[in-house]
Amino acid sequence: MQVLIVEDERLLSAEMAAFLKKSFYTCTPVYSAKEALQQLVDNEFDFVLLDLGLPDKDGLTVLHESKKHHPETAYIILTARGEVEDRIKGLDLGADDYLPKPFSLLELLSRMQAITRRKSGLADSQIELGAFLIDLKNRSILAGNVSVELSKKEFDLLSYLILHKNRPLTRTQLSERIWGAISDDDYDSNYIDVHIKNIRKKLGLWAETDWLETVRGVGYKIRLQS
Amino acid sequence: MKLQTKITLLITLSKGAVVLLFVFLLPLLVDRIAFDYTNYYLRQQKQKVLRTIDKNGLDLYFQGDSTYGSYTMLLEEYVSLEITDTVSTLDTILTSRRIIESDTLNYRVLMYGFTVADQPVLLEIGKTSASIEQYNRPLQKLAFYVLGSLMIVTMLLDLLVIKRVIRPLNNIIRHRLINRKFPFGKINPPQIYSTSDFTYLDASLVTLMQQVYEAFEKEREFAGNASHELMTPISIMQSKLENLMLDESVSDEQLGKLAEMLQSVTRLKKIVQALMLIARVENEQFERNDSVNISELLEEVRSELEHRLEEKEIQLLLQLEVDWQISKVNRDLLFQLFFNLINNAIKYNRFRGNITVSNFIGENGRRRIRIADTGVGIPEEELPYLFERFRKSRARSQDGNGLGLSIVRTIANYHGFELKISSPNREGTIIDVLIR
Repeated sequence: MQVLIVEDERLLSAEMAAFLKKSFYTCTPVYSAKEALQQLVDNEFDFVLLDLGLPDKDGLTVLHESKKHHPETAYIILTARGEVEDRIKGLDLGADDYLPKPFSLLELLSRMQAITRRKSGLADSQIELGAFLIDLKNRSILAGNVSVELSKKEFDLLSYLILHKNRPLTRTQLSERIWGAISDDDYDSNYIDVHIKNIRKKLGLWAETDWLETVRGVGYKIRLQS
Repeated sequence: MKLQTKITLLITLSKGAVVLLFVFLLPLLVDRIAFDYTNYYLRQQKQKVLRTIDKNGLDLYFQGDSTYGSYTMLLEEYVSLEITDTVSTLDTILTSRRIIESDTLNYRVLMYGFTVADQPVLLEIGKTSASIEQYNRPLQKLAFYVLGSLMIVTMLLDLLVIKRVIRPLNNIIRHRLINRKFPFGKINPPQIYSTSDFTYLDASLVTLMQQVYEAFEKEREFAGNASHELMTPISIMQSKLENLMLDESVSDEQLGKLAEMLQSVTRLKKIVQALMLIARVENEQFERNDSVNISELLEEVRSELEHRLEEKEIQLLLQLEVDWQISKVNRDLLFQLFFNLINNAIKYNRFRGNITVSNFIGENGRRRIRIADTGVGIPEEELPYLFERFRKSRARSQDGNGLGLSIVRTIANYHGFELKISSPNREGTIIDVLIR
């Protein structure tokens, strides 16, 4: 998939590109609104990651211009301004999502995948993990032909780990993703352990859960051979 | 007192003082005038007498005698001539006593020595001063009445004129200052008045208001820029760490260190976010147009904190007697306020403790929302400092950035809410939020 990264902060842009490349996205970085508009005329993109604070023009202008010619492209606004009005304005102008800086690259990727799922309607939402068949879309887990119930948060946690399979995720990353960033100070993310323990217990009744690994000193990871 | 009244009063008082001074000084003035007039009159009389003597000769008066005297019937004036032995060059006017017809009277006396046909003669012309003094009283009275009524008339005139003159000032006060709340919104251009001071005042006020407004805007901008400037490097650090953690060549030990770094960056991010939030609220960058249903809001907070409650097996009891609607607030901020308070109540609670949220009308009829927990409580001496930034209770050694309650206080102030915190017998903590 083609991604246009409109971000004047080159270091950040490079990190995003490096990260997305690992998930098989092809990235084109541009550093100003002018370049962005030029690229949008010349090429087709599946995603535009748009920083609002560009040196020459407001990112919202780019969004407005581009949306006219490429309504099918998905736009994700990235901003450090964090103003509620910007957010509303961006979504009003047809942005698909809004990510306040600083954001986690994992979060960016999940948002992009969510948009792809939403737009295509048919993503491979079924994943085999050991003896389990997990349907991310319908939020169901089958062990053989038995349905296993997880709580909402437990399922969220599991799907986030699946989404970022083969990557160690820290407790902080997990808690931020699942419970949002509502200025919850990081006093302890031990409850993540509690949830993981529950997931292991509930699934462990039916089959091995060795694919859900504890990464010592870091957090958790789902190991999945593709 | 209004300026207009004050000025009028001041002018009237000074006028009154002048009038009184004048009335009191009047006798002196009259005396002075009378004195001068008398002198003048006496000199005139002297000329007349000399002319008569010139015409008629001395003998007509003396008739063999060496003195001559003549006075009016009421002894107000007299003329006397006297032949002297020596030639006198006397020519003077003085006040002196004279006995005439066995009456002792005060006279203004002109004495003049001259010579007629080698005969030295002394001329005296006298005029009583009593006749003048009798006018003083009525004159004083008259002056008092005339000037007094003039004063009242001019006072009314002054009042009208002053009112007219300072009308621009009232204008400026009414239109620029009264009921103007910060930020000022639209500032009308300065007006030109006929009084240059007011033009200057108005122009200065407008400049000042614009400066304040610009400073406010700059502050706003600064918060935005600072946020951007701080968040961008944090973004980069976070992204770099996340990418590094995916690197195959990173050992397990290094991975653990990277995770720790990432946690620190996250912590930094949250502190900056919290400070920015406080700054934005203090800069009044949030609208207060929402009307919030309190039980809905608290339910929302509960669902956000469900995992924390579960973890410590804490019961959150929402015991709202009546449902309240709170208007003119910012919903997101209010959510944050209760989120932080209940989050704290969980954080410092014991395992399997309780949190009770209730509402009631307190003293002064103010609506109160009370959050009571069964936690460790707070030592009395720490209560006053609880809302300070980065202040953490010694009794509450949990992690956290120490900004949660600062945010609570900032949001409460912004909405005109009051916070009351107590920890009776250190059995849990009670926080009351007093709605306006």
